[in-house]
Amino acid sequence: MTTLRGVAAAPGMAAAPPALLEPASASGAPHLALDAAVTEACRQLDRLGARLRDRGLPDESEILEAQALMAADPELLEAAGRRIAAGIAADDAILAAGEEAAAVLEGLPDELLAARAADVRDVAARIARAVRGEAPPQLSRRSILVARDLAPSTTAELDQTLLAGLALEGGSPTAHAAILARALGIPAVVGIPGLLAAASSAAELLVDGNAGLVMLEPGAEDRHRLAHWETELQGRLDAERALHDRPLATADGHRVTLGANIGSPDDASPALRAGAEGVGLFRTEFVFMGRRRAPDEQTQAVAYAQVLRAFGERPVMIRLMDIGGDKPLPFVVLDPEPNPFLGVRAIRLAERDPGLLSTQLRAIVRAAAEAGVPRPLIMAPMVADLADVRRVRALLDEAVSAIGAAVTPQLGIMVEVPSAIVVADQLAREVAFFSIGTNDLTQYLLAADRTNAALAGRQDPMHPAVLRSIASLVAAAKPHGVPVAVCGEMGGDPAGAVILTGLGVSELSMGPASFGAVKRALASVTLAEAHELAKRCLDAPDAATARAWVNERLAG
Amino acid sequence: MAEATITVRNRSGLHARPAATFVRTAAGFGADVRLCNLSRDPGRMASAKSMLAVLGLGVGHGDEIRLEATGADADAAIDTLLALIAGGLGEGMAEATGE
Repeated sequence: MTTLRGVAAAPGMAAAPPALLEPASASGAPHLALDAAVTEACRQLDRLGARLRDRGLPDESEILEAQALMAADPELLEAAGRRIAAGIAADDAILAAGEEAAAVLEGLPDELLAARAADVRDVAARIARAVRGEAPPQLSRRSILVARDLAPSTTAELDQTLLAGLALEGGSPTAHAAILARALGIPAVVGIPGLLAAASSAAELLVDGNAGLVMLEPGAEDRHRLAHWETELQGRLDAERALHDRPLATADGHRVTLGANIGSPDDASPALRAGAEGVGLFRTEFVFMGRRRAPDEQTQAVAYAQVLRAFGERPVMIRLMDIGGDKPLPFVVLDPEPNPFLGVRAIRLAERDPGLLSTQLRAIVRAAAEAGVPRPLIMAPMVADLADVRRVRALLDEAVSAIGAAVTPQLGIMVEVPSAIVVADQLAREVAFFSIGTNDLTQYLLAADRTNAALAGRQDPMHPAVLRSIASLVAAAKPHGVPVAVCGEMGGDPAGAVILTGLGVSELSMGPASFGAVKRALASVTLAEAHELAKRCLDAPDAATARAWVNERLAG
Repeated sequence: MAEATITVRNRSGLHARPAATFVRTAAGFGADVRLCNLSRDPGRMASAKSMLAVLGLGVGHGDEIRLEATGADADAAIDTLLALIAGGLGEGMAEATGE
């Protein structure tokens, strides 16, 4: 038995025979002209992207959408066309053009850009396969896939029931294939020197994605560890499956509303299938992105009504546009800001020009009227004080009278600016609900930029300062009967969900992929235990200690 | 011909996601839009509608780029792309979803 050491990229363990995906070789009879092959490749990439979106992986699907943009790249096609005109076969031509473009990217000093070379090669190989009329590579039996590197599109395309594990000679945990493996729950180890030479003759491989090891011809002891892991995993999956049709609740039956975070109408039906009781965060930025001009009222209303109809009686919290600052748009002309997170963002844009926000408010009111939702929930982001609430309220009142529909919108706020917590008692008198954006709240409260990797250790919302802020918000909201929800990442984190419940939060909203793990965690404690744990964590010296306390309890 | 020079200020320059935003926006115009990276290779112009060409310019944070457009809507194309770059190109959409 040989053990190869790499870098753990996706947790889990699996044993199976190795399978090598052959790189596309430039031979065979052409079946499609280049143009048709490009169309086919774009169609495949869009379909794979949609499949990932459907599984609740919107960020991963964007990787494939960016590749579709590369597949239709005019310069790539021109370079291939020049070769075809010189008498080279279409498949060889596109592979050579792709290689040329990849080499340019690899030559750049920037590591991130150089890594895109793999994406280009993958796109060219896909077009070449379409030219040849070849099917994409597939596994013939349950295997550990062994490769030098793996494009995300290939990973997404493989039959997930046959892909037991992933072992890559190259790559890093931040490579797209690794991100995707984590998202799909496939154990993966990357950066294993000598893997291809060693594994090609092995009958069986064991991938240990927890420890970052690959065992060739695993022995009895490894099998024992694997069996132990599989039993544990099975128990966890069984528990999550058993909870699928049950509501989110503690062991003693204290209910917490389970909301989904969605970013477009396409996310609605996967969220409903996963068991969402409503939407705790409907991000509306999608309707503004990729446009040269602001979308008009009708365009927006159609999109919002789609989501409202899909959820029917279930509540949908529509967040007003959170754009500007670090999320710019071509039609919102802003002065460059040295500090976009502290800049003219979201509702702050309306102070200078309320046009964009007013249009959106009218569109929401109209969508609610069309979808038959009498009391739509509207959530204003970046609210700092009462004046902000009143400014949005005034625009909302104007929108309601402009549309003239029998709709009474409920205005709530996203709590992310620390000042909103300081004046929460004032706000509680005038808003319908609070929803905490824990990611931004954490970065603002701890003065730690969350896009700065060097400060990643300071982004944990389990920090006692964040927990105390949430506790004080809950206390300020209570006398006014204002519900407190959480739609930040903390709600989708099992440890975070337990503590938030203990602090008195009544709704948790998250990506549907987190539903199972959060239900399981909450079902493992009583409300009294969650209270106790939360109280203890309020006095923790730091986030890591608090997290360790909760994890200890959840593991026990 | 419309033209302009601007410094790219978003954190990672014209990378995958910001580049995709830039290319999609440029492709929406009829005008022929080209750009070069003055800080790296002033002699090399690339099509703003080609993802690969834009990535190949290796535009990083702080690099100065030059935009040129010819065609009916050249001015609108330049104005829109300038505003997009000045605003940071949607950088951080994946991480900074605002909650």
